[in-house]
Amino acid sequence: MPSNELQAIMDAAVDAVILIDHRGTMTAFNRSAERLFGYTAVEAVGQNVGLLMPPSHRAHHDQYLERYAATGVAHIIGVGREVEALRKDGTVFPALLSVGRVADSVPARFVGMIRDITAEQQARLKLVAERDRAAAAEMAEQEARLLQERLMRVGRLTTLGEMAAGIAHELNQPLSAIATYARACERFLALENPDLEESRAATREIAQEALRAGAIIQRLRQFIASQTSVPSAVNLNLVIEHLTPLIMADARLHSVGITFDLDQKLAPLNGDSVQLQHLVLNLVRNAIEALSGNADPDRHIVIRTDASGSPELLSVCDNGPGVPPQMVNRLFMPFVTTKPDGTGLGLSISQTIARAHGGSVGYRPAEPRGACFFMRLAGDPRP
Amino acid sequence: MRDTTPTVHIVDDDDGVRSSIRMLMKSVGLPAVTFASAQEFLTGYQPERGGCLVLDIRMPGMSGLELQQELNRRGAVIPVIFITGHGDVPMAVEAMRHGAFEFLQKPFRDQELIDRVQQAMQRDQETRESLREHARIQARLASLTPRECEVMELLTAGKANKVMAHELGLSQRTVEIHRARVMEKMEARSLAQLVRMTLDVQ
Repeated sequence: MPSNELQAIMDAAVDAVILIDHRGTMTAFNRSAERLFGYTAVEAVGQNVGLLMPPSHRAHHDQYLERYAATGVAHIIGVGREVEALRKDGTVFPALLSVGRVADSVPARFVGMIRDITAEQQARLKLVAERDRAAAAEMAEQEARLLQERLMRVGRLTTLGEMAAGIAHELNQPLSAIATYARACERFLALENPDLEESRAATREIAQEALRAGAIIQRLRQFIASQTSVPSAVNLNLVIEHLTPLIMADARLHSVGITFDLDQKLAPLNGDSVQLQHLVLNLVRNAIEALSGNADPDRHIVIRTDASGSPELLSVCDNGPGVPPQMVNRLFMPFVTTKPDGTGLGLSISQTIARAHGGSVGYRPAEPRGACFFMRLAGDPRP
Repeated sequence: MRDTTPTVHIVDDDDGVRSSIRMLMKSVGLPAVTFASAQEFLTGYQPERGGCLVLDIRMPGMSGLELQQELNRRGAVIPVIFITGHGDVPMAVEAMRHGAFEFLQKPFRDQELIDRVQQAMQRDQETRESLREHARIQARLASLTPRECEVMELLTAGKANKVMAHELGLSQRTVEIHRARVMEKMEARSLAQLVRMTLDVQ
C-alpha cells in the first residue's frame, strides 16, 4: 500500500497514475485517473486494467504482460507510446502512456501514467490539414499562374496570327528595296563611266534595309518567345517604340494612319514589358480593325502616353464608328466579340494585364467620333 | 514656268522602297520625284507634268486605290502602275477596273518595272498629245460663225455644194466662200481630214 506521501504525490499529479500487478489488476487509481476515465478509485481498483482499453486492445495487453513475465523484455517501459483509452461512458480518446516497473517487485508491479492528448492530436491534425490546404492552394495558384501564362502566350500568338499578313508585308518591304537597290547598283556599275558614288549609296542602303528586316524579326521573336518576364522598371514609351514595326505593318496593311504622341516625361512603372506590349498591341489591333471597314480615307489612330497625372496614362483612340452602346457594358467579358472571326479575348486579356499592374483598362467614346481605350493605374478615383 | 518634263512619280510610304525605286529610275536616266503618302502626292502633284505614277496599294491613311479613284474624279490622265506586297486578286481587279496601267507584285523584276514605266510614259505622252490636239480642234470649232457651223455640218455629212446651197437657201457662190473659210479656220487640208477632226471631238 502506498504511504501517505506517495498518495499525496499521486493525487497531485496532473496525469492519471495507475498501479497494476503482474496480472494487470489495478491496485491504485489516482484523482486524475478518476477525472480522466470517469471511474472512482473504488470502482477501478481490483479490476483488470483492460477496463480502460477499447476491447480490441485488451487481449494484446494481457499478451504484453505474459511476454514480459516470460522474457523480462519490456517493449514499452521507459519509452512511452500513444494509445487509445476507454472512458467509463464508452468514449475512446487518444492518450500518451508511459510505464515503469516498481523496483524489486516480485512478481512485477507496474506504474502507468496516462495523459489525454486529444487536444495535441487535434492541434497536430489541424496543422497537417492546414499544411495540406496551403500546399493545395499553392499548387492551384501555380497552376492558375501557368494557365494564365499559357493563355497570355496563346493570346500573343493569336494577336500575331491576326497580324501575320501585315508582318509578311513588312518583311517584304526591305527585301523588295534590297532587290531594287542591288539592281540599280548593277546598272550604275554597268555604265560606260560607272557611277561609283551612286553604287556606294546603293550598297549602304542595302545594308540598312537588311538590318531593318533583321530588327523586325527580332521584335517578333521577342514578342512570341518570351515567357512572362520578371517585373522590372518599364518605360511605357519604350514598350510602344519596340512595337512600332509591328504596329506600322498592321496599319499599312489596313491603310490606317498612326500618330505617336508619347510624353517624354513619363516615369517608368514596375511591370512586365512583354505583357504591356501585348496590352498595347491588343488595343492598337482593335482600333485598326474598327477602322478597316471605313470607306472614309481619313482613318486615323492616336497612340498617346500622358505623364500629366491624367487617368489616361496610355490611350489608343481611333476615329472609327465607336462601340455600339449595347456593347459597352460587355466589352471586357471574355468571348464577347463583335468581329466575325474574333476570339473575344483581346480586351479581356488586356484587362487582366492591366489589373496585374494594379490598374485597369477603360473605354470612352472619342470626340467627335470613334473609340478611346485607355489604361489607368491604381490610385485613380475614376470607376 | 512650271516644269513639265515627263517624270516618274513614286508614291510609297516605305522610305526604302520609295528611294530604291527612285534610284532604279535614275540608273536608267528617268527623272523621278517621290511622295511619302497619297495626301502628299495630291498636294504636290502638278497635273500638267506628264509621266507616270508608281503607286503602292497599301499605305497608312489614304490607300493607293483610293488615290487612283480620287485622281479619276479629278480627271487626271496620268497612267498608274500599282506595286503591292500582297498579290490579292480582288484588289488587282479593282485597280484594273479603274484604269490602272499595270499591277506589279513586290519584289518585282527591275526590268519589268522599267519596261512598264517606259511604256506608261509613252502612253501618257500620246494621251497628252491627243488631248492637246483635241483642245486645238475645239478652239478652232469655237472660232466658226453659226453659218460656218451649218456649212461644216452639211459638208462633213457628205453634201455637195449645190445641195447645201439649196438646203441653206444660199447661192452656190456664198456656200463656196463659207466652205473655204471653214477649211481655213479648221486648218484642214482635205475634206477627209476635216471629217476625222469632227469625229475626234465628238
